[in-house]
Amino acid sequence: MPSARARCQTGSVQPSAAVLIVDDHDGFRSFARGMLEAAGFTVVEAATGAEATETARAVRPELVLLDVQLRDLDGFEVARRLAAAPAGNPAPVAVLTSTREACDYGGRIAASPAAGFLPKDQLSGATLRRFLAEVPA
Amino acid sequence: MSWRLLAALIAGAAGAVGCFVWAAWPPTPQYRPIEICIACVGLSFMVAGIAAWLRWPASRLGLLFTIVGYLYLVPYILVNLANSVAFTVGNLSQPIYGAALVHLGLAWPSGRLRSRFERGVVIADYVQSIAFSVAATIFWNPSFGGCDTRCPANVLLVGDGSVSAWTALNRISGYVGLAFTVVVLILIVGHWRSARGWSRRAMVPVVWIGFAIGLEQTLIWGPFDLPVSDLVSFGLAQLVLMAGPLLFVISTVRARTARGALGTAIVDLEPGAPPGQLRDVLARALGDSTLQLAFRQPDGAGYVDTGGQAVEVAQPDPGRAVVPVTGADEASGAVLVYDEGLELEPQLVRLTAAAASMALEHARLQAEVRAQLEEVWASRTRIVEAGDAERRRLERDLHDGAQQRLVTLALALGLARDRAAADPELGSLIESASKEAREALTELRELARGIHPAVLTQAGLAGAIQALVERSPVATTVTAVPGGRFPAAIEATAYFVVSEALANVAKHARASGAEVTIGRRPGRLVVQVSDDGAGGARPGGGSGLRGLADRVASVGGVLRVDSPPGCGTRLEADLPCP
Repeated sequence: MPSARARCQTGSVQPSAAVLIVDDHDGFRSFARGMLEAAGFTVVEAATGAEATETARAVRPELVLLDVQLRDLDGFEVARRLAAAPAGNPAPVAVLTSTREACDYGGRIAASPAAGFLPKDQLSGATLRRFLAEVPA
Repeated sequence: MSWRLLAALIAGAAGAVGCFVWAAWPPTPQYRPIEICIACVGLSFMVAGIAAWLRWPASRLGLLFTIVGYLYLVPYILVNLANSVAFTVGNLSQPIYGAALVHLGLAWPSGRLRSRFERGVVIADYVQSIAFSVAATIFWNPSFGGCDTRCPANVLLVGDGSVSAWTALNRISGYVGLAFTVVVLILIVGHWRSARGWSRRAMVPVVWIGFAIGLEQTLIWGPFDLPVSDLVSFGLAQLVLMAGPLLFVISTVRARTARGALGTAIVDLEPGAPPGQLRDVLARALGDSTLQLAFRQPDGAGYVDTGGQAVEVAQPDPGRAVVPVTGADEASGAVLVYDEGLELEPQLVRLTAAAASMALEHARLQAEVRAQLEEVWASRTRIVEAGDAERRRLERDLHDGAQQRLVTLALALGLARDRAAADPELGSLIESASKEAREALTELRELARGIHPAVLTQAGLAGAIQALVERSPVATTVTAVPGGRFPAAIEATAYFVVSEALANVAKHARASGAEVTIGRRPGRLVVQVSDDGAGGARPGGGSGLRGLADRVASVGGVLRVDSPPGCGTRLEADLPCP
């Protein structure tokens, strides 16, 4: 029997959609994991850009929540690498995130292959589902 | 020569001419032009003597000029005195001035004869002219020359004299004199050729006059039958004689004005001109093309002139003299090395050295001020850059620290609120805490953006300007912004100009629209912000424009504000940008 939360889901997203959280800030990762797991996502984590591309290749998450500021690469570069995944493997939906606002990155967000930008403080399961729903099937 | 001697010479010159005029008065109409010529020639040598004494006190030239003048004029006075002894001595001594002229030419310009040989030539010329004169006088009956019984007697006359002996002696004397003239001319040309710089220039008039006299003597004594009267040839000879002293007097007057030109030349010397240019100006003013301006080598090993040639200062080459350029920078230890002939004009040399010292000191002070100014500019730029870097660091720290924690706090509160669904009171409490956290985060973001616009680091000038324009409450269009990255200080300055300008538009201008244009010119980045508002902005009017102008100046740029009341405001920052 489907749970109450499952009934609330929109579009074709499975309740157990996998989300890769890429952030070098441990505290944020753990809170985000808690929030997203509570929202019915399966969560994997990466702390660096290199780790993120590796994990994405292995786990194939539907969505990657990408902090712009990482220790090794920046989020834009990671998004570019994810988008350049080999054919046949659909690239995950990349959502850039930061404690700053979108306007602090000028035109870089629009120029990036990422699906969009989410200020960190507005993170929730619902906002992520909205990104997944917007992606053409 | 002393002042007393000079005064005596002047009095003597005037007296001699006076005597001559008195003795020859009333002139025979036929001889009047001759007598005027004679007075002028004698006077010209005496005036040249005085000029030479004033110009070159260390030289004997003044004395030699005067001696020639007296030797020329006095015999004419004597022959006019109606006394047979004076008449005889006058006739006898008439040709001697020629030897004195040779003496003057060979001793030019120092007044000293250069070698034993030349001394010998001069003595021989004096001896031969006196000897021939005495010999000819013995055979000369005054009646030969058309001088009737009015003439005094020749006391040396033996018997009735002999026209043929007298004519022959005169002719031989003429040839011998011509031979001496040729030898002396060769010697003078030799002096001219071996001289350099100032000395060579000083020799030029002597060479010309020497040739003129040589030509005149050749015409008189050579095998030519000139179709001119004795009167004309005599007059021409006197004119040639007069040319020497006249040229000297003219050149003395010109030398005086040249000293004035020295000051003008130094003043006209453009600031920061290389030392080579200073040397050229000094060389021209001094009339010495060989002038060297030399500086002590930094390692103390000798001197080098402006042409890069090593110069021996302690023991200058023969014919060269050295004067230190005192007062100039002690470390540079500049000296002038000049033609020794200029020792005759010690005042001019001193003046030139002083002018050189002034010019060098001026150049040094200018270089010092320029260096200090450059240091101030550099330090101002460094201070601004350090400030920028510090602001960047602060923004980054806020982003990595407090902002991150507030985000986590907001998320945690969101989670807590979800879980407290069962307790509405607790839920609303958490909700308001969450709201506070979000507001704190927003305020902190604004604060961080004010400290340093992250967008500038992230997206460069084009992205940053776009972000500024999007946030501006006044409708603003960006007509052009060059892509690519520029030096951080330039990007930051351009950003602050646009940011401050748009803030002013929003606060003061009451404008309906604004326009931002950033253009690239060779080596420049030009930022323009204009609006259609009230205008009347003043750079010092507390609108932040003063600080903005300082900021623009800190990177070597210029801020221009054009804000006529009622006609909008146009701000232009012209920034250097490689």
